[in-house]
Amino acid sequence: MNRIIPGMLLVLVACALTQEMPVLKAPVVSLAPVPIASIPQGKSGTVPLSFRIVRGYHINSNKPKSEFLIPTALKVDATTDIVIGRITYPDGKDMSFAFSPDEKLNVYAGDFEVGVMVRPLRSVQAGKYMIRGNLKYQACDNAQCYPPKQMPVSFEVRISKAAAPARKNPAQSPHAHK
Amino acid sequence: MKRDPWVLIVIAAIVAAMLYGGIYAARKNRATGSVSSKLRGQTAPDFELKSLDGKNVKLSDFRGKAVLLNFWATWCGPCKIEMPWFVELQKEYGPEGFEVVGVAMDDPADEEEIAKFAKDLGVNYTVLVGTDAVGDSYNVNVFPTTFFIDRDGKLVAREFGLQSRSVFVDHIKESLGQPVQAQK
Repeated sequence: MNRIIPGMLLVLVACALTQEMPVLKAPVVSLAPVPIASIPQGKSGTVPLSFRIVRGYHINSNKPKSEFLIPTALKVDATTDIVIGRITYPDGKDMSFAFSPDEKLNVYAGDFEVGVMVRPLRSVQAGKYMIRGNLKYQACDNAQCYPPKQMPVSFEVRISKAAAPARKNPAQSPHAHK
Repeated sequence: MKRDPWVLIVIAAIVAAMLYGGIYAARKNRATGSVSSKLRGQTAPDFELKSLDGKNVKLSDFRGKAVLLNFWATWCGPCKIEMPWFVELQKEYGPEGFEVVGVAMDDPADEEEIAKFAKDLGVNYTVLVGTDAVGDSYNVNVFPTTFFIDRDGKLVAREFGLQSRSVFVDHIKESLGQPVQAQK
């Protein structure tokens, strides 16, 4: 009993604090583990990044319909000798929400995939490289919106040696030298 | 010492009920936006911010009036829905000593965008360019968040997210010291 009473007091304090509980601050977007892409030196490859949005939330697509809305955008840090090319975004879904039934917003909800084109120069040494960046997004649910967030994103690429150029076999003269 | 299992069951039931009660109260507070007893009656933190017309405005400048203090942002869809209501409510209750004060929590560098947004919605009330410090002093982390302050500068109610217009009207009346229609 001596241990139970302080325990109950602790629970009472916890109950009081939950009444002042701040509203959800946790990130609503997460990045699924990215399989290591293998790209030969001098060639380009696209790395797919799969993001998941917590159920009940949405974020603006890369091309929202209003100039005031914050587009979802991935910014990848520049690296030496590995060129970051085009970043491709999926089309958003036109959806209307309880707070604005007459207006359709172009959003991502659920899962979406962003492609990052990576092209290592021929001079890059073969091996694994970490690419880092940030996904900027701004989430809302049916009644409220959350401040824009920058979510750190990182993925590895394995740069493999470029295939050796096909050796030209010097043609043998069919005519025997005399 | 041998414990009676019924005592433990009763204690576990009490603890579970208290936890449920705490969580229910927290959810209810969030849903209805009611200010808990801890906040109600506290003096609203004072601040000084720049208005869209370039004046320095203090919250305490409105002492003697009931204030609806609305934290919003141009990128917030639900904010866009309630702002025209505030325009109407400012017209309706303004003569009784009521003021709507909007605090735009966009990047302060986007002042032109804030002004354009407010103009497009026909905003007729004071709009201030917010800072993180002011947002933090009100523990604002979702938008819209709206506080209702009485004539003495004391907090009366708080709303997270979009609510119905009638909820705002009730809080305005309460902050003006007028009788509020009993909730059904």
